[in-house]
Amino acid sequence: MNDTLEYHQSEPLTLGVELELQLLTTRDYDLTRGATDLLRAVRHDGSHGDVKLEITESMIEINTLPRESADAIAADLDAMRGLLVEQCARNNIAVCGGGAHPFHSWPDRRISPGERYEMTYARYGYLAKQFTVFGQHIHVGCATADDAVWLTQALGPYVPYFIALSAASPYIDGVDTLFHSARLNAVSAFPLSGQCPELADWNGFLEYFGFLRDCGIAASIKDLYWDIRPKPEYGTVEIRVCDTPLDVVQAAALAALAQALSRRLLRERPAFDAGKALQVARYNKFQACRYGFDAQISSPRKRAQEGLRTTLKDLLDTLDDDARALGCRHWLDVLRTSLFTGLSGADWLRARQAVHKNLNDVVRDSAERFSAMRPPAN
Amino acid sequence: MNESLLSYAREAWTALQGALYFLPPFPARVDTLALLSLLLVAGLLVAEWLRARWGWPRVLGYVVAGTVFGPSLFGWINADILAQLRPIADAAHGLLLLEAGRRLDLRWLLNNRDLLRGGVSDIALSFLAVYGFAFFVVGLPPAWAAATAAVTMASAPAVVMLVIEESRAQGQITERVMMYSAIGSAASFVVFVAVLGFVHAQIGATWGAALAHPLWAGGGACLIGVLASRLAIVVAGQLPKRSLAQVFVLAAMALLAVGVARMLGVPVFLTLFLMGVILSFSDRAKVLSYTSLPDGHGMLAIILFVVVGAALPWRDATWPMAAQALGLLLARAAAKLLAMTLSGGALPIGKRLLAGIGIQPLSATAVFMAFEIGKLYPEISHSALHLAFFAAAIMDIAGPVLCRFALNRAGETAVEKETQGGAR
Repeated sequence: MNDTLEYHQSEPLTLGVELELQLLTTRDYDLTRGATDLLRAVRHDGSHGDVKLEITESMIEINTLPRESADAIAADLDAMRGLLVEQCARNNIAVCGGGAHPFHSWPDRRISPGERYEMTYARYGYLAKQFTVFGQHIHVGCATADDAVWLTQALGPYVPYFIALSAASPYIDGVDTLFHSARLNAVSAFPLSGQCPELADWNGFLEYFGFLRDCGIAASIKDLYWDIRPKPEYGTVEIRVCDTPLDVVQAAALAALAQALSRRLLRERPAFDAGKALQVARYNKFQACRYGFDAQISSPRKRAQEGLRTTLKDLLDTLDDDARALGCRHWLDVLRTSLFTGLSGADWLRARQAVHKNLNDVVRDSAERFSAMRPPAN
Repeated sequence: MNESLLSYAREAWTALQGALYFLPPFPARVDTLALLSLLLVAGLLVAEWLRARWGWPRVLGYVVAGTVFGPSLFGWINADILAQLRPIADAAHGLLLLEAGRRLDLRWLLNNRDLLRGGVSDIALSFLAVYGFAFFVVGLPPAWAAATAAVTMASAPAVVMLVIEESRAQGQITERVMMYSAIGSAASFVVFVAVLGFVHAQIGATWGAALAHPLWAGGGACLIGVLASRLAIVVAGQLPKRSLAQVFVLAAMALLAVGVARMLGVPVFLTLFLMGVILSFSDRAKVLSYTSLPDGHGMLAIILFVVVGAALPWRDATWPMAAQALGLLLARAAAKLLAMTLSGGALPIGKRLLAGIGIQPLSATAVFMAFEIGKLYPEISHSALHLAFFAAAIMDIAGPVLCRFALNRAGETAVEKETQGGAR
C-alpha cells in the first residue's frame, strides 16, 4: 500500500487551519507575483505555524500548528497574519482575505516553482491558473482511521453552513456574479472535485482509492479535491469548502464550529443515509454558494426544503454544550452575530462596492481590514 | 540623391500648377503628421523585425530605426525634421516620466530601510564614479564633469518602464528596478538643476544669474507640477474612477504642463516627473491612482525613441571618444552593482546584482538633459557633453537588453516554460 495512505493517529478534535491569502500590488490592488520572494524573506521560529507557496505566485498560505482550542488557533492565525503583513509591507505588497480576487486577469498568473505545481499545470492547463482562488481548510483530528472516514461523510450535510458562513467571493472578472461564493465554481472544474462517496470504513476508503490509483485517476490523496476528505498523513479530516474569510476572527470561528460539530457527531454518532445525502449534496452546495444565508436546503430525511438561516441558527444552538465543553462558545457567538446581522463577507464586499463604485478600492478596504484585525479577547 | 529627386518633383509640380490652378505651392517640408506616421511605421517595422529575428526589446528597435534613418546614416531625418518633431518627443518623454514619477512610492522607501540604503548608495556612488572618471580620466573641467555626472548617473525610467511593460514583468526585482530608476532620476534632476548654476559660474556669468537659473528651472517645474497635479485630481474627482474620461483628464493635464513648461523655458522632463511624484504622494483618496495613461503612450514612445536614435551623434564618433564613453559606463556600472550589494536586506546577493544590471539603461532623459544644457551654451556644450551623448548612445543599444536580461534571470517576465503534452 502507498506510504502516504498510512493513517497517522492524532489527538481527537485537535484543530489545524490553513488560509490561502491574496498578494496584491499597492499600486492598484490587483494580484501580483510575489510569493517566492516573500517566502525567502520571511523569518520566523515556527512557534505559530508556517508560510507556504500555493499553485500560483499571487497566493500564499499561512497555517497554524495543531492546537487543542480555537483560542490557540486564533492566536496562531493572528501571529502569522502579523508576520506576513509586516513582511509584505517591506516588499510593497498588500495582503488580504476573501475567496477570489474581484478583477484579476487569470492569464497573468504565474505558476509557482516546484515539481508538483508544474505537474498540475501540465495536467490541467489553464484550470491551474484559474485555480487562483483562496480557501480556508480546517483540519479536525481523529483518533482512528475509521473515525476519520465516518466523520468525513457525517460532516457532508453541513457543508452548506460552512459555505454560507465563510462566503467572500461575490465578484469575478470585475463582475458581480450574484453568488455569495463564486470560488467553488473554479474548484468544480477539476475532475476529482465533489463529495466523498459512500464508504463503510477505512478499508473501504483504501479499496476505493486503490481502484482510482489502478485506473490511473489519482496518485495521491492530494489529487482528491473533495469538499471534505480524510488526510491520513495528519490523522485528520479536512474541510475544504470555506472561502478564506476577510479576517482571522471569522477563520477562527469557523474552526470552532468544525470542532464543536465534530465533537457532537462523534459523541452521538447519529444515523444518516450517506447515499441520500450525496443525492442532494451538489444542489445544497449550489444553493449555499448562490444565496448564502438565504439558501433553501433540501433535506433528504424530510423530503422538503428548509431555510438555511433557520437551520443554521438551530444548529448553533444545539452545539452550545459541546462548544462550552471545548471552551469555544464565544467563537460561535461570532458566527451568530454574522448570521443575525445577515452580513457575510460577500455582503460586506458588496456594501463597500456600493460606497466606492470601484473594485480597486473594495480590495484596498479588504486589505486594510485584514491588516488591522485582532481576535477579540476571550 | 535626395536633393536631385526633390528638384525633379518640384519642377514637375510647378509645371502642373500652370494647368491646375488649385494646386498649392510645392510643400517646403514634409507635413508633421505625415512625418509622424512614417516614423511610426518605420520604427514599428524595425522593432518588430528585430524582436521576431533576435528577440530584442522593441525600444531598441525604435532607437535603431532612428539611427538608421537619422543624420548618421541615411539622413532622412535631418536637423530641421528633428526640430519639427521636438514638441512631440517632449510630450512623449514627459508622459513616460509622469508615469515613472507616479511609481516613486515614498511610503515604501520609509517602510524598507534596505531600499532606502540601496537608493542613496546608487545615487552617491554613481555620481562620484562618473564625476571622478570625467574629471580625473577624461580631464573635463569640474562644472562639465558635474554636468556629465548629472546627466548620466541615473537609470532611464522610460526605457525601464517600456521593457517591464513589454515583458509583463512582476516581482521584487521589477519593483526595485523601477523604484531605483525613479529615485535616481529624482536625484539626477536635483543635481542637474544645481549644475546649471555651476555651469553659469564656469562661463563667467554673474552670481545672480548662476543662482536664478537653477531656481527658475527647479522652482518652475515644482510649481507647474503642483498646480497640474492638483488640477488633475480636482477635475478627475468629478468623474468615475478608472473611466476613460479620467484617462483623458490625466493626459490633458500632463500636456498642459508640457505646454506651460515649454512656454516658460522650464525643463519638461523635470516638470512631468515632479507632477507624477506629487500625484502619487498627494492622491490619498486614490482619485487617479488606478488610472493609467492609455496604451497610446506606447505610440508616443516609438516617436520618442526614433527621435532619440536620430539625435545620437554617431557621425562624430571617434575611437578615443568611444573608449572614454565605455570607460564611463564601466565606472557607472561598477558603482550601481556596488550600491546594490551594499543595500543588504532579505534579497539574496544574486538578486540584488540583477537589480543592479536592471538599472543600467541610460537613454532619453540623459539626451534631453544634455539638450537642455546644449540649448543654453551651444558653443561650449557641444564638445563638453559629447561624453554623455556617447555613453547614452551606447546604452541606448545595450540598456534595454541588459534590463530585460535581469528581469528574465530573476524569473519575473511572462515567458513561461511550455508544457505541451506533459503529464496526463
